[in-house]
Amino acid sequence: MQRALENAMADLVLGDEVDPTDERAVDAWLERNAVPEEDRRAILEQGVERLSVYRSLVRGNIRRAIADVAPRTVARLGELFDEYLGKFLRERAPRTHYLRDVTVEWLDFSEPLWCADERVPDYLADLARHECTRIEIGARESKDRDREPGELSLDRGVELVPAARVVRYRYAVHQLSDEQSDRTAPQKRGTTLFVYRSPEHEVRYLELSPLAALVLEALADGATLGSAIKDACAQQGVEIDDAVLSGTATVLADLAARGALLGSAAPAT
Amino acid sequence: MSLATAPTGVGLGLRWDFLEEFLEICPPQVSFVEVSPENYMRRGGYYPTQLERVRDHYPIITHGLTMSLGAVDAPDERYLEDLDAETKRLGTPWHSDHLCFSTAGERVLHDLLPLTHSQRTVEHVSDRISRVRDRLGLPIAIENISWYAHPGRAELPEHELINRILDRADASLLLDVNNVYVNSLNHGFEPRQFIEAMPFDRVVQLHVAGHTRQENGLVIDTHGADVCDPVLELLELTVARIGPVPVVLERDNQIPPLTELLDEVERLDEAYRRGLARRQKRQDARARGEGNAARS
Repeated sequence: MQRALENAMADLVLGDEVDPTDERAVDAWLERNAVPEEDRRAILEQGVERLSVYRSLVRGNIRRAIADVAPRTVARLGELFDEYLGKFLRERAPRTHYLRDVTVEWLDFSEPLWCADERVPDYLADLARHECTRIEIGARESKDRDREPGELSLDRGVELVPAARVVRYRYAVHQLSDEQSDRTAPQKRGTTLFVYRSPEHEVRYLELSPLAALVLEALADGATLGSAIKDACAQQGVEIDDAVLSGTATVLADLAARGALLGSAAPAT
Repeated sequence: MSLATAPTGVGLGLRWDFLEEFLEICPPQVSFVEVSPENYMRRGGYYPTQLERVRDHYPIITHGLTMSLGAVDAPDERYLEDLDAETKRLGTPWHSDHLCFSTAGERVLHDLLPLTHSQRTVEHVSDRISRVRDRLGLPIAIENISWYAHPGRAELPEHELINRILDRADASLLLDVNNVYVNSLNHGFEPRQFIEAMPFDRVVQLHVAGHTRQENGLVIDTHGADVCDPVLELLELTVARIGPVPVVLERDNQIPPLTELLDEVERLDEAYRRGLARRQKRQDARARGEGNAARS
């Protein structure tokens, strides 16, 4: 394949639509992609209509992939979805070989634009992230363990399952109905969730208190249990007392019972 | 598993829509399954776990979607690394991907776009196949695609392009019988002649699927309908010419209940057996002819 033809086809399927019956538009498409003269002649003889079939095939595949991962976001965007899909395909396009990851790429591209677009509800990026997180955690790779985790200890970190993370939203989007037809706006309140994949491969969510969220974020970043509690209390402006310690112990015991916390991490070397 | 020990008979392209039910009954009429490794690479959780269970019951052949063999840029190393690990894990006898391009620079198009039928493509793709085969340490088969238009000037007919690439790369062919039929309708040629022009000794696998005709008359390879009778006849003819190879039923859209898919597997198996019987009959006739010639 020559680079010019490869680019021309990519432009045809991802870029602005070229009307196959508009000679000037077809000329402009061939011109801006510097298609060699003999290929240009062959394309013009054959007509562009059939080549344009690839536009609907490519866009249909990517559209379905995003709608599969984030159906409620797509439904709430309505007609705007095609506008943002078009912008994404034209200006960025998928870079991943994995269709399941295309939605995150689309969202990374679209979110800054949504912030400046008053037609897009303020909560929508949170909802989209929430829908993507389900796929991300559900598909995250497991790791082979080379040691059995030990008892929890304040001077060590903890080992969480690889398919787990703490997410923060500005809206309580996790409380929205799963119905695609639902248009209820979520409550505006800072929300932190611990999202994990259970041993039965279900993606589950736990809403965290602000203190528990800070502790778990620090632990996920590799802090020792003692320093995670200390730093979280300092940030929240609370004393480390029995209530804090027993509350933390309860949260960690619950995570262990759910199979999300495996035990203490290996000592730092 | 080597080429010599690869499965034969009719298998099924494994799809998540029926994975659970498939594992519950482990249908005996399915000889093997084909999977797209991209659906399992860099992934944990439910589906890879279920695939392990499938592997306990069936041989697996891998069929990739995004190698982009014809693209100007080589596949990225991380992708090949993941593919290498997955194909080794699944023990596939070969890995196949399409004779197409599906990337443009860093952009991944997630569909199969046609290559120019030219000597330049022959050289480029055959070199790419050789490099990928060395990287994966695995035989590579390429699949002929359905194509709807040619992107530029064509120097060669498609069958010539395929033959030259396979010869130059010393590679195998995954012959998609439905794609031959779809192309014959869209481009106006005789599908049997196309099949006859294929290098039979290089065919390691066959694909069959359904297609859909658009309002404008163009036939699209949707994998969204039952296999039609002319494609079954082509399958029978092809098997009669090449002998026993694995045949995959592909279904990606409008997927019916598993029981209906299994009925279709049985229909394919009947065509497959008719093809083998025709082949045997011809071989017997040839042997008789040679015997008569030796006696005369």
